[in-house]
Amino acid sequence: MDDVTTGVTTLDDTIDTVDSVDTVDSVDSVDSVDKTVIAVRDLQILSGTKRLVGPVTFELSAGSTTGLCGPSGAGKSTVLRALVDLLPHGLRRQGEVEVLGRPVRYGKGDSGLRSTVVLVPQTPVVFGGSILDNALFGLRHLVRASRTEMHDRVEQALREAGLWSEVSHRLDTPAQTLSNGQRQRLCLARALALEPAALLLDEPTSALDERSRDTVEESVAALRGNRTVLLVSHDPAQVERLCDRTIRVDLPTATEPSLAAV
Amino acid sequence: MGLILERPARAPGPAVSRPSSGSGRGSRARWVWSWAYSGILSVLLTLAVLLGYLVTGIASGTVDWTALLTSSTWSPGNLAFGGLAMIYGSAVVCVLALALAVPVGWAAAVALSEYLPPRLAKPLRLSIELLAAVPSIVYGLIGIMVIRPFVADLGDVPGGDSLLAAGIVLAVMITPTIVAVSVDALASVPGRYREAAYSLGLTRREVIRSAVLPQARPGMRAGVLLGLARALGEAIAVFMVIGRADGRLPESAGDVFSSLVRPGQTLTTKLAGPEPMLAGTSGPYFAALCGLGIILLVLVAVATVWGTRGSTGRAARAPRARRSSAWLRTPKDRLTTVVRLGALLLPGALLVGMLGILLARGGAALNPVFWFSASEGASGGGIRDQILGTLLLLATAALIALPLGYGAGIVIGTRASARTARVLETLTVAVGGTPTILLGLAGYVLFCTTMGWGRSWLAGAVVLVPVVVPVVALTTAGRIRSMPGEITEAALALGLTSSQYVRSVVIPYTWPATLTGLLLGLARAAGETAPLIFTATVFFGAPALPTGIVNAPVQALPTHIFTLSQDSGAPEAIAQAWGSALVLVLITAGLLSLAVLLRNRFEGARRWTT
Repeated sequence: MDDVTTGVTTLDDTIDTVDSVDTVDSVDSVDSVDKTVIAVRDLQILSGTKRLVGPVTFELSAGSTTGLCGPSGAGKSTVLRALVDLLPHGLRRQGEVEVLGRPVRYGKGDSGLRSTVVLVPQTPVVFGGSILDNALFGLRHLVRASRTEMHDRVEQALREAGLWSEVSHRLDTPAQTLSNGQRQRLCLARALALEPAALLLDEPTSALDERSRDTVEESVAALRGNRTVLLVSHDPAQVERLCDRTIRVDLPTATEPSLAAV
Repeated sequence: MGLILERPARAPGPAVSRPSSGSGRGSRARWVWSWAYSGILSVLLTLAVLLGYLVTGIASGTVDWTALLTSSTWSPGNLAFGGLAMIYGSAVVCVLALALAVPVGWAAAVALSEYLPPRLAKPLRLSIELLAAVPSIVYGLIGIMVIRPFVADLGDVPGGDSLLAAGIVLAVMITPTIVAVSVDALASVPGRYREAAYSLGLTRREVIRSAVLPQARPGMRAGVLLGLARALGEAIAVFMVIGRADGRLPESAGDVFSSLVRPGQTLTTKLAGPEPMLAGTSGPYFAALCGLGIILLVLVAVATVWGTRGSTGRAARAPRARRSSAWLRTPKDRLTTVVRLGALLLPGALLVGMLGILLARGGAALNPVFWFSASEGASGGGIRDQILGTLLLLATAALIALPLGYGAGIVIGTRASARTARVLETLTVAVGGTPTILLGLAGYVLFCTTMGWGRSWLAGAVVLVPVVVPVVALTTAGRIRSMPGEITEAALALGLTSSQYVRSVVIPYTWPATLTGLLLGLARAAGETAPLIFTATVFFGAPALPTGIVNAPVQALPTHIFTLSQDSGAPEAIAQAWGSALVLVLITAGLLSLAVLLRNRFEGARRWTT
């Protein structure tokens, strides 16, 4: 496997994230189950001085699927965004986050972090271009590899996301022709192609109808044991079906406004 | 929804009460629709008049099209009419303007939309929109005072009148337009695209290149084409710095560059010069000028229509698959950040420089006496009459344009099928993009000569109407299109007829947008010089307010500045010109601020409806 980028290596002195070897290791050596991929201690999200979320503390061990649930407005998605440094304007985080044993220093314009811990947003976003273009979207920038190697990785990712059999014959057709459920799995594949140390799935099925939901759930279930996944869901039954364990995020105390009010 | 419920009295459901007789209701319906359709008719009529003027002009004498397009000899005395040098001049100044303005404009737009925090970006975006509305006569004045001396030093050009100076003036003029339209296009890319790309670990540069620009590109290209249309159709600002020398073509390929620092002529400057007045209204001379007009109109129409089609083009192109960019990602990202933020300095400097120069040189305008006393010749007194004249022209144009533009907008927004709406919209855009010098010439022939009005304020106001109507119509139609579907559905479900629907739903919903459009259109019309020179204004000798229609000219600010700036030797005249320019900019800015206030108000309304 190619090293991820020189970008990451040059970033190493400023940001303590992960180097590519760790990334690959964590994926390939599933047997090291007790290895902690992400450790979060006392994470709080604040708007000005108001506390919107937290404090939450949890650890994700390699190969586990963890559910993050709680009522809507409790800030589940915000936690995911805080982890990958994509908080909306005006919000800030407090607390410590470690990825693969190294503390993350946020706010340095780091991109090595986000290709190690990959967020898959709630609504599937399909860019212009073909299915292949979309699957290559991040990979193309992050990895230097030959065309065949890239295609191998994409194929692998599409298989893992359970989409390969449906699109293998039409990789060059526009991605806009996919159904919603297929789009969500394409987004999943796009993330998997980066060989991330952990995947953060933000309500992957909430924008989908029942049938597509089942297909996406199947794909997520198939990752269990192979990938480290943090799954946000408001549906306890789904968390029950898919996850090894559950973290609850609750609404902040009544005197403080919740996210929904912001 | 509250909007409908608030006005039940004006929208009676037919089943509940039908107080008026059927005929009364019918006549009111007819009234609404005849009003709306007369708006569309006015747009079509403008085009018809324009084309009619040019075509009859061409028909009045034989035009040698081959000579017009391939010969560079323009000599009316010998009946030799070759337009190649003017076409070349137009092409060169436009290429120069685009080459300077597009890279800066695009980079600044990206910086504004993707790099600056909203707190900084919002006021800056607003000021650039203001800059885009500064009258071209002011840019011309800056061209004379700043750019011409600069070019004179640069290339050993006596006076500095040259194609290069014209290109720079146009670049300065269209940069704000390009930035404003491109920022709109970038802002309309949904944030989830950025988030999806960021969450894959891309740098900001990569996110912009792969996720944002493919979506925004059609809109950004539209901004360039609109800028190009503006540059092609601009007469006055170019007129002031190009030197207007006929028949100049580079002798060889190597001569192209040195010809840049020599005077030239463009299509618009030829038409804005004295020749249309000398050519009469028929014969080969007049026909040749009309031929030039047709060439200009076609060029501008192609750019405008192409530009608007680009902005509605939906299919975003695939991002080009490019590998091997893995190397040096972070340094590249930092470098792009610096370059883009740096590009923002230019429009910023333009803004500051413009304000500075206006305040420094236009000091006369800071004295109230200047506003409230009549002018004395070229060098003394105030500009009371010019202000009054401008306001009279604007008020009259507004009175005529508001109902027409509103009607046209309603027809485009509600009545037409998708396809007809697109055609009507394109025609409206074409009218809005018409070089105003052509409007002036057509108005001159129609009102001043054929109808015998001579120079008349009313002719000037009517000629300004086609400048305002498209802006009103397009903002209204856009607002109607943004109406939530449920409102329409709810209204029609109550049994409202289409005219009742217009009166009780569409108009209450759209009027703030329509007024915004009117103010924006008026801000543009306030700075128009070219249509007024032939039709409505004199430099002095007119009463403050005219008493009739026939032979009743006024004095107006833009033409006042234009005349004064021709006399660039006399320092008093120049001081007067800058003072007038400051006043004109203040009037424009006033109209725009009102428009912004209104827009904020109806943006509040939007929050409240949904």
